[in-house]
Amino acid sequence: MSSYLCHDFKTPRTDTSKRLPESFKAVPVLFYLALLVGTYFMTMDWMAYKRAQTVKAQADTTREEHEKASSKMRAQKEILDAETKKAEAVAKWMEGARNLQPISVAIARAVPPEVTLSNLTLERSDQVPSNLALSVNINGGTAAEVAMIEASLARLQYRSYSPQQSKNGSVIEYRSTLVRQE
Amino acid sequence: MNPKQLACVVLMIIIGLITYFGQIGHKKVVSMKRSAAQAESDATMAEGGRQSAEILTARTKAETEELRRFLAAWTPHIDRAQTEQEVGSAIEVSLRERGITLVRSRKSEVRTSRASKLIPKIVLTTLEVEDEYAKVMAWMGDIEKRLPLARVTACRITGGSGARLLRLDISLETPLIDLGESSGPAKQKG
Repeated sequence: MSSYLCHDFKTPRTDTSKRLPESFKAVPVLFYLALLVGTYFMTMDWMAYKRAQTVKAQADTTREEHEKASSKMRAQKEILDAETKKAEAVAKWMEGARNLQPISVAIARAVPPEVTLSNLTLERSDQVPSNLALSVNINGGTAAEVAMIEASLARLQYRSYSPQQSKNGSVIEYRSTLVRQE
Repeated sequence: MNPKQLACVVLMIIIGLITYFGQIGHKKVVSMKRSAAQAESDATMAEGGRQSAEILTARTKAETEELRRFLAAWTPHIDRAQTEQEVGSAIEVSLRERGITLVRSRKSEVRTSRASKLIPKIVLTTLEVEDEYAKVMAWMGDIEKRLPLARVTACRITGGSGARLLRLDISLETPLIDLGESSGPAKQKG
């Protein structure tokens, strides 16, 4: 509306704008409503953000705990594997380190007193240390003494492979490879 | 621009800013939610990994228990023969205790073994002893008991210089086992 005084009420005024439609009264209401809804959604978003942050932090902590436990388990397994390897190596060595004294004694005891042994040799195989090359000279013996020796070795869980006997006068030379039977 | 239009523009700017920051905030929330979901999924996967590691370790433990017990049982014997001097001393004591008086020859040398890292050295001992049958056999049994890790590689029993005497030529390989090799937990485990 113009600032000057108007005394002419009959002529339509040209310098005044038209009244806004009635529905436009809703604009400020809608504006405030939109502000309220916006505030609500932003508050919800903020809360969801905080919640997600907490969940993430918890999940990260849990993951770290699990990973720590997993690496501990892996380290423990590595220790077990290393120990097992050592044990296997020792066991492999021990397999080829069985006592020979019982074999020597068993052979000596297997023959009767009238029969003598002039030479008894036991040698380990380089390739398979648990295998033994046996060589024994039996003075005044027969095949029966050889059988007795083999029987006494069998009692010690040794089996003769490719046994050979040769007689030279009264001496029987007996050779064989002793293989441990499990 | 009249004051009404200006007010409208200001209002639009305010609405635009609210919308803009609201959207940015919402995007951040969505991204954080996605990160949280990913973290949860990672945690679940890590739990699975942990469970499988636990199962694997428990299985290895159960499967290797016998072997590890075997090693634990042999560890004191391994510790007892760690140097050439210790091996020599064990032989010396055994000869003295068993009363073997005639030792024709005795040689000892340390050989480097390349077969296994666990056994870097082997003490090779060669002995020629002569005495009565019972004494010699008892000594042989004793030395094999005293040095249980020793491997008799060759043994030759023949008649001695006297009627009742026996001569024994024996070669022994005693490993100097290094249990501390690589990780070295075997000694601690027991």
